[in-house]
Amino acid sequence: MSESKLERLVKMINQIALNMSANGTDAVVADQVAHHLEKFWSPPMKQLITESFSDADIGLTPLAHLAVQDLLVMRKAKRA
Amino acid sequence: MLEFYEPQADYGTPESISTEMVTLSIDGVEVTVPEGTSVMRAAAVSGVKVPRLCATDQLKSFGSCRVCLVQIEGRRGFPASCTTTVEAGMDVKTQSDEIAKLRRNVMELYISDHPLDCLTCPTNGDCELQDTAGELGLRSVRYGFEGENHLVAEKDESNPYFTFDPSKCIVCSRCVRACEEVQGTFALTIDGRGFESKVSASQAEDFMDSECVSCGACVNACPTATLTEKSIIEAGKPEHSVTTTCAYCGVGCSFKAEMKGNQVVRMTPYKDGKANEGHACVKGRFAFGYATHKDRITVPMIRDSIDDPWKEVSWEEAVTYTAKRFKDIQSKYGRTSIGAISSSRCTNEEVYLVQKMVRAGFGNNNVDTCARVCHSPTGFGLKNTLGESAGTQTFASVAEADVIVVMGANPTEAHPVFGSRLKRRLREGAKLIVIDPRKIELVSSPHITADYHLPVRPGTNVTILNALAHVVVNEGLEARSYIEERCDVAEFEKWLAFIGDERHSPENTESITGVPAADLRAAARLYATGGNGAIFYGLGVTEHSQGSTAVMGIANLAMLTGNIGRDGVGVNPLRGQNNVQGSCDMGSFPHELPGYRHISDSATRELFEGEWGVTLDSEPGLRIPNMFDSALDGDFKGLYCQGEDIAQSDPNTQHVEAALRAIDCLVVQDIFLNETAKFAHVFLPGASFLEKDGTFTNAERRISRVRKAMPPLSGKADWEGTMALANALGCEMDYNHPSEIMDEIARLTPTFNGVSYDKLEQLGSIQWPCNENTPDGTPIMHIDEFVRGKGFFAMTEYVPTTERASRKFPLLLTTGRILSQYNVGAQTRRTDNSSWHGEDVIEIHPHDAEERGIKHDDWVGINSRVGDTVLRADVTERVKPGVVYTTFHHPVSGANVITTDNSDWATNCPEYKVTAVQLSKVTAPSKWQSRQKSFNQQQQGLLQGARN
Repeated sequence: MSESKLERLVKMINQIALNMSANGTDAVVADQVAHHLEKFWSPPMKQLITESFSDADIGLTPLAHLAVQDLLVMRKAKRA
Repeated sequence: MLEFYEPQADYGTPESISTEMVTLSIDGVEVTVPEGTSVMRAAAVSGVKVPRLCATDQLKSFGSCRVCLVQIEGRRGFPASCTTTVEAGMDVKTQSDEIAKLRRNVMELYISDHPLDCLTCPTNGDCELQDTAGELGLRSVRYGFEGENHLVAEKDESNPYFTFDPSKCIVCSRCVRACEEVQGTFALTIDGRGFESKVSASQAEDFMDSECVSCGACVNACPTATLTEKSIIEAGKPEHSVTTTCAYCGVGCSFKAEMKGNQVVRMTPYKDGKANEGHACVKGRFAFGYATHKDRITVPMIRDSIDDPWKEVSWEEAVTYTAKRFKDIQSKYGRTSIGAISSSRCTNEEVYLVQKMVRAGFGNNNVDTCARVCHSPTGFGLKNTLGESAGTQTFASVAEADVIVVMGANPTEAHPVFGSRLKRRLREGAKLIVIDPRKIELVSSPHITADYHLPVRPGTNVTILNALAHVVVNEGLEARSYIEERCDVAEFEKWLAFIGDERHSPENTESITGVPAADLRAAARLYATGGNGAIFYGLGVTEHSQGSTAVMGIANLAMLTGNIGRDGVGVNPLRGQNNVQGSCDMGSFPHELPGYRHISDSATRELFEGEWGVTLDSEPGLRIPNMFDSALDGDFKGLYCQGEDIAQSDPNTQHVEAALRAIDCLVVQDIFLNETAKFAHVFLPGASFLEKDGTFTNAERRISRVRKAMPPLSGKADWEGTMALANALGCEMDYNHPSEIMDEIARLTPTFNGVSYDKLEQLGSIQWPCNENTPDGTPIMHIDEFVRGKGFFAMTEYVPTTERASRKFPLLLTTGRILSQYNVGAQTRRTDNSSWHGEDVIEIHPHDAEERGIKHDDWVGINSRVGDTVLRADVTERVKPGVVYTTFHHPVSGANVITTDNSDWATNCPEYKVTAVQLSKVTAPSKWQSRQKSFNQQQQGLLQGARN
């Protein structure tokens, strides 16, 4: 697992979350960001961010953090 | 089907668009034509050609040559048929002894001052003067040739593509009028009076030194050999022609490729082409020589390492070698370790095959296209707001627009034929708002002045769009009934609360955008209240970290003012390359199948699985930047790149080069050894647009045929190359002709269901959607309702880019294109177009230049956070203080060595338009440029080895 790769993904999610931030409440935005990631990111990218998420602070903003939580749930549901 | 060469039909004067019809009699035959039609045109419609010299249906009637005289019952004299309009019951006689005598007399005068060298004249057999003299039965000239004449007038050979021979000029003004009416440049005039009258370029300058933009409209219009293509002078008259579509920009001009055997001798704009209606630009009209340039590589080549010499091999060996290496990579690194990049320069059928090979053959969705780096935000933004990833109106309907907004686009340089159309409408009185950091030509040019130029600071488009919408809303100028009927009102109300906030006011955003609040307010009022509003935008909108937000902001603004869904209004992305629209339509993005259907949609997937006989991956693949990152991470090892030069066109060149070096098997299919190919292990020779059949889709969704004018130099068109590779990989493809590929696309794609080559033959071109509901296509979209149902007002929060000016990098670099060169210049640099733009330069405002001691033409170093390069300075007020500008047409310029890998939040479209830089005087090339030079020499040497 490359640290720089993870940093890139974190930067991208933070950017997506920031740009969607006016779309509604934090919960709404987090859900939209999670759907965006699900829709446009390749599986290894989604896997890396969801696996790394359980680690300590990886640099996600609070909104992006919520989004990855949602993504994790979404991915689990999809697998199930 | 072979079309023997024939000049295109000419009805003498333009068509009238009136719906009122008038019936008259011409030579005893009753004819019914629209009101406003000239007698000349009515005669042509009834099958009677009235002789003429100064008239052509591409120009307004002028009435100067006096050859087209007719007689009209009840009228005195002999009126000119070109300037006389039809009337009900009119009885016209086009032939009589009196008329014939008059016409011959006029013709005699013309010929008395014309060289009688028809047999050796370059336009012998293709000259209206010669034809007309023949039609009139002119047998002698009573005046002799000894008197004062123009026969020794000196030729102007300065233009690389055409000759101006004034000795053959009859001063009919067709060239002058073409330059004004068709092109809108006003570079030509008739200088002097009476016998002294002569055609003059600018202030009696050579064509090359004048304002002439070499569009060729004057050459087309010339009825003699005065203005003649040098290719015709050298090769002679064509013997057959093939109607095809230009492979340069997204306007998609239709051309007659005029041939002698397999040699193109002239490209003539096709009058029936709906995108261009007989006009062209210097690229499409003249810059076709690259297709047979000596640099063309026509034999497949392979090598194990990029330090090895190339080895020429057969197609079979090349694809077998590639297939083995790709399979080896996949067995070692996994199914997703390879992918492909398709090109917007290739046909719809070719990009369709590339994505099919990836999804069905590679077994993953790692396919992306160059639209990633230009208009991917258009796809995202318009799909979300309107429901379809495409422009909404026709180019022709700009003639119905009252207020035109041009944002982040430079049509007269990058989409010149549309630019001419737009200028024509502006001369008729339409208003113009330009939103651009630079003073582009449309801001101020002959007979055109923008009503408002909003010189936005690079990176603040979203703020400008929000401020415009804020003014419309706060001043109560929105189209309430349109919104209530057509849009999602609940979402609109939420958006209203957002946009109404005072932080979006022009006064509060002036310090961010640099645009005076009063100008912005006035522009917003004009757009909202000035009648039909049409927005045309380009890469200056999309290539930002907020590109997708800006596209949604544009859609919001258009919906807010009711400016979508009818003639003369709309939202129109001006696509950079010829087939950007098509490559996106064809499923070239990693997350969607043809027709913009997401790969996770099981019903769509099943449709394709049924047709292709495979199981498809339901997850999106890698985007281009992800491919580069993964290559550097060691996860992505094989890439098939068709027709795209990512090493030159993509941002942060050094990052791209490192990624390409990390790839185990890079396959490049191209017509030249481009910058990317220098990192390749397999080179598959590509075919130019002249060498293949297929279709392109232009920026107005118009699907047009590309027709083979000459056999592919390598023996295979690109679709055949892809098919060979796919078959070698075990992904069976068995198409005999691209029409069969289009049939498959139509079977699988609802918006293309009604498209076929037969229908394209029948209709000439088709604007999708074309299906059972719209069998002849859809010129204007969203007429009764938006494709998504209710229009969606998206929130457009402005998030500043992280790429900001600082003390170390105080200037903002933005990039663009120039008229004579195209994209990475691979084609145009190999033509005489380089006479106009032999190198890229950096534009800098005089204040910024003076502060740094930089003078015009000085070498300057440009440093950004990721790299540096050296270019010559162009000190100019076209850019405002704090902004510098360059183009990226020459590899050695290294424009993308400076640009960063910042990208659009939603699509990863690179932020080419904003790079913080510092400029300083230097005396030597940059380190990268020195490395590039030596790498290029090494690679050219390795290529030479293969060819010897």
